[in-house]
Amino acid sequence: METLQFAFRKILYAIPLLFGVTLISFLLMVYFGPDLTYSLIGKNPTAEQIVEVRTQLGYDQPFFIRYGMFLKEIVTFDFGNSLSTGERVSSILLRTVPVSFAVALPGFILSELLALALALIAANNRGGFVDKGIMVFAVVGMSISFLIVVIIFQIVFCSVYGLNLFPVQGWVVSNVADYIHYVAVPTMVIVFVGLGYNTRFFRAVIVEELNRDYVRTARAYGVSRFRILSAHILKNAMIPISTRVIISLPFVVIAGNLVIERYFNIPGVGLITYNAITTGDLPIVKAVVTSTAILYVIALVFTDIVYRMIDPRVALNS
Amino acid sequence: MVEGAAEQPVANVIPAPDTSHYRSESLWTKSIRKFARDPMGIAALVIVSVFFVIACGVWAGWIGQNWSALQADGYTGMSREHWFGTNINGQDIYARTIQGTKTAFEVGLIVAILSTVIGGILGAVAGYFDRTIVDEVIMWLYGCLDAIPFYLFVAAVAFALRDQPYAMHVAMIATFWSSTCRIVRGEVIKIKSLEYVQAAKALGVGSMTIIFRHVIPNTFHILLVQGTIAFVSAIKSEVILTYLGLGVKHGVSWGTMLSESTFEVSAGIFNNFVAASSFLFLLVIAFNLFADALQDALDPKKVTAS
Repeated sequence: METLQFAFRKILYAIPLLFGVTLISFLLMVYFGPDLTYSLIGKNPTAEQIVEVRTQLGYDQPFFIRYGMFLKEIVTFDFGNSLSTGERVSSILLRTVPVSFAVALPGFILSELLALALALIAANNRGGFVDKGIMVFAVVGMSISFLIVVIIFQIVFCSVYGLNLFPVQGWVVSNVADYIHYVAVPTMVIVFVGLGYNTRFFRAVIVEELNRDYVRTARAYGVSRFRILSAHILKNAMIPISTRVIISLPFVVIAGNLVIERYFNIPGVGLITYNAITTGDLPIVKAVVTSTAILYVIALVFTDIVYRMIDPRVALNS
Repeated sequence: MVEGAAEQPVANVIPAPDTSHYRSESLWTKSIRKFARDPMGIAALVIVSVFFVIACGVWAGWIGQNWSALQADGYTGMSREHWFGTNINGQDIYARTIQGTKTAFEVGLIVAILSTVIGGILGAVAGYFDRTIVDEVIMWLYGCLDAIPFYLFVAAVAFALRDQPYAMHVAMIATFWSSTCRIVRGEVIKIKSLEYVQAAKALGVGSMTIIFRHVIPNTFHILLVQGTIAFVSAIKSEVILTYLGLGVKHGVSWGTMLSESTFEVSAGIFNNFVAASSFLFLLVIAFNLFADALQDALDPKKVTAS
């Protein structure tokens, strides 16, 4: 019952966030955004056509009605048609989101797991050679720009100057072997770039746990290092770690990875968004921005409620 | 009158310690000493200063001025005239790289300073007026801006500002202030309960005066570290934004050079790419190491042998 109350309060708290996010998207892209009248009509429009399209787009309505129209678009998930291809935005999204997911997921999971393993090893040998080595690797990984990593990996793995093992671009997937063939290099790029940040963050969390009194007590009682790490520290460290993972999920899934998809020509949400940004295709950008933001708010509420359920200390505090 | 009561004070048997040679220490003097003992930090600072001197040289008009003149007929390799060669338009790559240093510092400094100032002030106000409507509003704003993915937010701002040259800076500042704000807010909540703040309040000092004269100066160390982090993020984001077409429009930056080079490398021409990426990598890693060393030096809990 208490959890339900807590959940209800959290959802209530999320509502102004949802309004705020949609308001910002609306202000930036619709209200202050570009005038779409001429993109929708062809050449040589007549005066009546112009007026008709303007009323259709709602440019003569007051602020709140236009905001209401925007909200209705979101709720019914009907953002209109893409300005460049004329396809319905919702069907575009339905087509591309699974692809983005398939591309981003292996890299995401691998980088989190690898970072966790590296952080555990580093925290265990804190101050030692292994720790310093891993941290240097993490700083270097953090400092190389995404773009540079993509280019280098493409040269090394895909082109004739390097190993020429994987395709430079494309996405023709019909079975698992194809999938691995096409997803290998993008996954490597994602892992390489994410490893630096994640390792440092996880290591900081684990080291903070290691400094706590209960660890010292357990060691004094003779509990083995391994058991402390796996049974106790991991559980406590999981809380900030899993928050971060769940919160970054919407960005990974929906926003797609613009640079990677553009580079490897993978028809996912990222590529669609990239084309939309460069051609000024507003409906798609609107749809992607608002969906991601709303998913993020939902993920936030979700993590708070899940915390409450798994960590009894949160229940006592709130 | 008691007989034999002492009329003179008893002489102090133990002499008071001689404190005339003690120096008064503050967080800053201790941090400078700790930093001076960190070889990695000093090396990083030296590298960053070299870049800064280069950028100042470009600002003053001494070096790297000839970056847009078409000087050759297309690609040329490294030669005595063009140290790094020329790009597809015949522009000198060395001059463009040097000019890119200036752009990087421009973007980095503007974004870092403004986002840290805004984040610091809003964070201090939110923390000081904790649990009131002011705090709730600022936290709501922070949550909203966090929810929108960064590159898409910049795209949205670019739409709104109709391709003004500073659209990218505005978008970056609007995203980077939030992490500073949250950290400052946490710290201010702790500072708020310290005794001298309570004393100031009891004396009737106005809230704004307290915030600006007592609270914020105690967050300067946080602001410094956050500023360096923002600087690095700004430079790195600028590269990707320029690749997406949302970045620097007037002038050249490493991002522009890298975007140009994406087509060139598949043809085997690496000059542009190597020049831009090595400069970028060097500056970013030096700044990252400097930020790390700074954070370690300013951390009062990290006790080193002194």
